[in-house]
Amino acid sequence: MELNINNQEYSFEAEENMPLLWVLRDLLELTATKYSCGIGQCGACTVLVNGRATRSCSTPVSAALNKNITTIEDTNSNTLLQALKDSWVENDTPQCGYCQSGQIMNALALLSQNPNPTDDEILTAMRGNLCRCGTYPRIKKSIKQVIKTNNTL
Amino acid sequence: MKRRDFFKTSTLASGGFLISAYLPFACNEQMGESESWEPNFYLRVDPDNTITFICSRTELGQGTSVGLAMIVADELGMDFENLKTEFANGAMERYGDLQDTGGSNGLRMLWDPLRKAIATAREIFIVAAAQKWDVEPSSCLSENGFVYHDSSGRKASYGSLIGLAKDLPAPFDIKLKDPSEFKYIGKPVVGERTRMIANGKNPYSINMKQPDMLYAAVARCPAWDGSLIDFDDSKARSFPGVVDVVEVPAVEIQADDFKGGVRSGVAVLATNTWAALEAKKLLEIQWDLGAFSNKSDTDVKNELLAQLDEPRGIIPETREALNLFKRYGKGHSATYCSAYQANTCMEPLNATAYHMGNKIEIWVGSQAPGMFRERISQLTGIPEAAITIHNLPSGGGFGRRFHADFVEEAVLISEKVRKPVKLTWSREDTLTTSKYHPLCIDHWEATFNRDGKVMAIGYQGSTGSTNGFHPYPYAIPMVHYNNIYEREGRLLPRASWRSVYAHPWALGLECFIDELAYLAKKDPITYRIELLDKAEVVEQLMIPWVGDNLYPQKLKETLQVAREKSNWGDTPEGIFQGVSSISYNTSYCSQVIDLSVQNGKVKVHKVTAVMNCGRVINPSQVESQVAGSIIWGLTAALKTQLTVIDGRVQQSNFDSYDLLRMDETPEIEVHLIQSEDSPSGAGEPAVPGVAPALLNALFAATGERIREIPIVGNSQYSIA
Repeated sequence: MELNINNQEYSFEAEENMPLLWVLRDLLELTATKYSCGIGQCGACTVLVNGRATRSCSTPVSAALNKNITTIEDTNSNTLLQALKDSWVENDTPQCGYCQSGQIMNALALLSQNPNPTDDEILTAMRGNLCRCGTYPRIKKSIKQVIKTNNTL
Repeated sequence: MKRRDFFKTSTLASGGFLISAYLPFACNEQMGESESWEPNFYLRVDPDNTITFICSRTELGQGTSVGLAMIVADELGMDFENLKTEFANGAMERYGDLQDTGGSNGLRMLWDPLRKAIATAREIFIVAAAQKWDVEPSSCLSENGFVYHDSSGRKASYGSLIGLAKDLPAPFDIKLKDPSEFKYIGKPVVGERTRMIANGKNPYSINMKQPDMLYAAVARCPAWDGSLIDFDDSKARSFPGVVDVVEVPAVEIQADDFKGGVRSGVAVLATNTWAALEAKKLLEIQWDLGAFSNKSDTDVKNELLAQLDEPRGIIPETREALNLFKRYGKGHSATYCSAYQANTCMEPLNATAYHMGNKIEIWVGSQAPGMFRERISQLTGIPEAAITIHNLPSGGGFGRRFHADFVEEAVLISEKVRKPVKLTWSREDTLTTSKYHPLCIDHWEATFNRDGKVMAIGYQGSTGSTNGFHPYPYAIPMVHYNNIYEREGRLLPRASWRSVYAHPWALGLECFIDELAYLAKKDPITYRIELLDKAEVVEQLMIPWVGDNLYPQKLKETLQVAREKSNWGDTPEGIFQGVSSISYNTSYCSQVIDLSVQNGKVKVHKVTAVMNCGRVINPSQVESQVAGSIIWGLTAALKTQLTVIDGRVQQSNFDSYDLLRMDETPEIEVHLIQSEDSPSGAGEPAVPGVAPALLNALFAATGERIREIPIVGNSQYSIA
């Protein structure tokens, strides 16, 4: 099997119904995408598949073949992703950090599709991403900072 | 001895626990000049002048490692950006109990010894340079990893001085930096870890990969007291990637319940995590569900409630207050209930263990790596010196990673296959077969004189066993009745859970004080302040993990600021307020919650929190901890609970144990009191006050006293 991840080709052997999450984590050692609930309830495993936020824990790898997958490890192809990462750092957003890969990727999908979301649209888009540490206020602040910066460019 | 008696009172009194910071000067005689040197257990200097802070505390997201690194940078006089941080392996002989991360006391307990250790290292390098240059040490100064001689302009890096410094005794007169010299302490600082996290590079233990490693998942007995009868693994073994299936023996819970308590189970070993998790579902297992197979959470609740009607004993020191009850009779009483809760760290419990027969290596995010090593030695018979615990940052801990069972389990599995084994708990495991914050029943009562003045209050509850801590700041005498408890043993094993027993304790105390204020026809804040004004300092210094007395005036100050900042009593129509004020391990926190209720739906609009945690090391992290604590508290007060039917926990994932989400999170405003006192904790103190402030606000809105949390499922109210 082959996957295109962050504009790189990866080859591997896997069962067709193996979730994309475990292909990334265990087979390809792209461990920045996180396992937390396994049933698409918490968003920790969020990646982009053809630009759409996707819960990789409940997406069989067969559904991701021949598509563009973006994970938080993507370092050079996406300025919006970099802006989100920078904002996350500037606002000292993470606590334990475990959910934050998924939070950032979900925010990336949101802003890619809707560069200027309202507060309510942010809340609706982000409600699927849980954070047990309770960093929601700073996540919201980080997203809004990116929106504001983009609007003033 | 209870675990949280962190260090022995005698050593505390003599300052003896500081020894750990000084001992290592005697331990380095074999170093060559080209080698690194650890002047103490907190610092390593490399010949190329790389300086590394070895952090004994675990990083679970509470920010302690950043705060401690700031202290090191300031005491060493070096740029924070140039200081590396690394986590210490579990080692009682190096850190004693000071390695345990719990009770929100990382900064409080290390503030003094860490500063002294770092200042001592700095002074030794100064003495070494002075000897090298044949000048007086007092004519030299140290900055950013170098020693300078003012008048001659000479400079030498710490790294270049290792050969001289390593054999020097510490000078007697070690001066700590004056707060006016602090460059970082007190300012918001973003640590290196934040950058790692934002790039997905934080090395959680769940990312561990070792050569030849197997991935394990365990099916555990769904009832706490049960055991394995038999199993058929033929279907599981035929799942692609499965390598082996082994039985996991139960390990008895220890009197100190941080140890033991591994459930009877069956482990699937595979070439990847998914295969292990999936094949586990294919195991056909017969369980003996044990003594609790017919017991439910309602049985526990009823059993505890029934004990309130039995004749009761008291803690003898509180007899005088009991006499007041005898004189005036029982007046008002109220019983509060808080549900079973799970920690649900976002990173599920996991550990990689390699039992090699004669030695063991473990990679884990642990809140007590020293204690874990001690425990694994006890469990396996392998000496502690042959056990290495590499402690890694955790995706949340909140107390659950203080319990060693998940590491014991990984070691037992690895022992059977003599290979590195990464054990990953599924989310379902962390909810259905874990350890939990217990269901608590807490009863409060008051006695009044003829004028309606409260003369004494009484407490009888279930917050009494491990980690029971009852800070009580008010000037009303209190009777403390003997605790109620599950006499047949716990239906579910206990885990520490952010703020532990302070949560149910504060729920009862702060709701009951509110009820007394209402009966006295007084404003709830004014009532509390009057009681605090009459109160004396509460002695709790000798509770080692508390560390200071309780000062009612500090609590009062947080209330006064909260009154002002929350616009107390001056809210828009339809908005109602409730207050709480609590002390927790010498931090103080008052909160005001603004809410509205429409058609039975409760909406929390705003939480205003005021915290005094002594000197604030990193305001960014403290503010974040307080906000996070409030969200934690709201989750438990509003929404989540575990129910148990026939010994089985009924909630299995985030669909049925649904944490507070971003769109349900109110505006949170945090105010920090400026203080010169030693730093105290910030990770937990804002948790316990949330539920009572919420219920008190609900009373203000509806006139109805709800005394059970979460309110969803236990009252007529739902959330908007």
